[in-house]
Amino acid sequence: MAANYWSSSQRLHWQMSREKLAEIRHNLDAQDEKAVQAYPLPSYRQLSIFFNSRTACPSQLIRLGRRMQVRQQALATAQLYVRRFYTKVPIRDTNPFLVMATCLYLALKMEECPQHIRIVVSEARSCFSDIMPAYPEKLAECEFYVISELNSYLIVHHPYRTLQELTPILNLTSEDNSTSWQVINDSCVTDLPLIYPPHIIALTAIFLSVVLKSSPSQTSLHTTAAAAAAAAAAVATNPVANVPAIPANTGGDFNGGGASTNLSGNGQGQQQNRVGRLIEWYAESKVDMEAIIDCTQEIISLYEVWESLPPQAEKVFKEQLCKMVKQRGIS
Amino acid sequence: MPPYRSKVRVLEKYQIIGFISSGTYGRVYKARSRTPGNKKEFAIKKFKPDKEGEVIQYTGISQSACREMALCSELSHENVIHLHEIILEDKCIYMVFEYAEHDLLQIIHYHSQNPDRRPIPETTVKSVLWQLLNGVSYLHQNWVLHRDLKPANIMVTAAGEVKIGDLGLARLFYKPIQSLYTGDKVVVTIWYRAPELLLGSKHYTTAIDTWAVGCIFAELLALRPIFKGEEAKMEKKSTVPFQRNQMQKIIEILGTPTPERWPDVRQNPEYHQLSSFKQYGDNLKAWYQQIGQTNPQGYDLLAGLLNYDPTQRLSAQQALEHPYFHEGAKLSLNAFEGQTFEYPHRRVTQEDNDISLPGTKRSGLPDDSIAGNRAKRLKEG
Repeated sequence: MAANYWSSSQRLHWQMSREKLAEIRHNLDAQDEKAVQAYPLPSYRQLSIFFNSRTACPSQLIRLGRRMQVRQQALATAQLYVRRFYTKVPIRDTNPFLVMATCLYLALKMEECPQHIRIVVSEARSCFSDIMPAYPEKLAECEFYVISELNSYLIVHHPYRTLQELTPILNLTSEDNSTSWQVINDSCVTDLPLIYPPHIIALTAIFLSVVLKSSPSQTSLHTTAAAAAAAAAAVATNPVANVPAIPANTGGDFNGGGASTNLSGNGQGQQQNRVGRLIEWYAESKVDMEAIIDCTQEIISLYEVWESLPPQAEKVFKEQLCKMVKQRGIS
Repeated sequence: MPPYRSKVRVLEKYQIIGFISSGTYGRVYKARSRTPGNKKEFAIKKFKPDKEGEVIQYTGISQSACREMALCSELSHENVIHLHEIILEDKCIYMVFEYAEHDLLQIIHYHSQNPDRRPIPETTVKSVLWQLLNGVSYLHQNWVLHRDLKPANIMVTAAGEVKIGDLGLARLFYKPIQSLYTGDKVVVTIWYRAPELLLGSKHYTTAIDTWAVGCIFAELLALRPIFKGEEAKMEKKSTVPFQRNQMQKIIEILGTPTPERWPDVRQNPEYHQLSSFKQYGDNLKAWYQQIGQTNPQGYDLLAGLLNYDPTQRLSAQQALEHPYFHEGAKLSLNAFEGQTFEYPHRRVTQEDNDISLPGTKRSGLPDDSIAGNRAKRLKEG
């Protein structure tokens, strides 16, 4: 229930395997193949970035949330509502801009920071332009649609709580904590919240933030993550094995700041010790390392897609969506 | 987008038997499933659209309706009313709950109106109280504050199972983004309102619910509310009046709340109000004896639930472990076990059973016109 993920509607009704999710989406597309052909849209992953992402391609939902100074947790809730909604309804049957604004309006109520419907509508219009319907009744009607498709399961569990709980236990520095927090924000741009429990995502975020910092001279995220994943896999298959060292080379780091200036240790060795201790702790706590590896890869490939998106992607995506909404008359 | 259409239609799925009650939220109907082979009974709560006019428009669902929908969908416990489904149809929200034949208000009323004022049998009181605490404990373990526990909100099924209902004011209290005080300023029907709330405390804790349980326990024993204060009406919309008369009723029975009994009492914003009250000693024991009670464990439990200090007040879990429940006859999960009489069934009227009408309140309906105590109490309580 509300405090307990294990008996929550999220676990019982809104957690699915990757394969199941792919099948659901395939079936949604198959419902109206003509529309799918007539209105080419970005891939799910690209759309997801367009709707949700924080940086690379300043996204729609986040932009609206920022504009309204929405708390991150409420934003994450809205993002998950959007994602759940589109496992039930073909995107080409909807006005995604209206759906995003509606999910935010609903999330703000559920996260106890409500905003008046008129404010949400007018902010959404300034953000999304006139593709967003001007009348609050449209948003209110869409709210019925969203709640109905979500089966009224509106209480969601986010990884932030696990992160807060583990921060003292794992001796995370404030920098670790804020990096982990960012990685969790980024996980909302992926399908992970539909596939994995929130604590797994939190553990992945912590893992990434500590591991990536341990190799301040990394050139590519991918190499670091691969090394981290290898280290984790080694522990997963053989918990008593020594923790392999994480390669330390040259170049930039995860957060743009000097990663070697961490609070807990000055030396590289000390930092690698931290990685070792973290992995040991995970192993002792019987954390599902396979899941952590899978999540790590998902986050890393998100960053790759992000980086590879051309600057004009946002404009192109928006045009495609607006064209679809207008031509189909589904504003 | 195309107009929203519900996949399920209330009237196709349920046959409305009659009208049960109405409140600020909307109206409740008794219904029977049309599913062949499973003609179960349900209570359908229809939320009133926010604005009432000739043409109903979508206006956005109220936050309390959102909370109630979300919480009821999430909760699952034998002592919390079970939500069967929610139907969103024609701009209205219908929450379909399991049907409960009785509620505590009706049961208390039955006994208090009885010419010989026969008390509620102790086995029934014990069973009801234990099940109520069991449900409250479940809510609290799940970070849910009910905030409006009162006899009218506690249902009892024909099989004697207690079901906590009406989570319209309930909230999650896990690290709230805003203080629980903001938003809805006045919570909990005044007779069941905890002293810390009366004194303006902004910290809502589970103890406000256990205070209310203490009041309900007392009422089951006395057949009348233990602290029946008169509500001071809000004069200005922005300020919450100090409920002097309610505080007075509590002090007359429990005595003056001193820092010895309640170390943090001075921290309450309205603490200064207490200086203008006459001093009283603790008269709870005398009250308990005066209503004819003799069980010392019952008194001890009542005093624990009505402890002034919210931090010392018994939690629901602690109360469940109290010796009161573990002495004497074995506790039954059927509140009516061994009873030789039967409570009257819930009143259901036929005059106004058209659920498809807009939720506007019209005059002359049963909810406005039931003469006598019950209607008045429903309004006040």
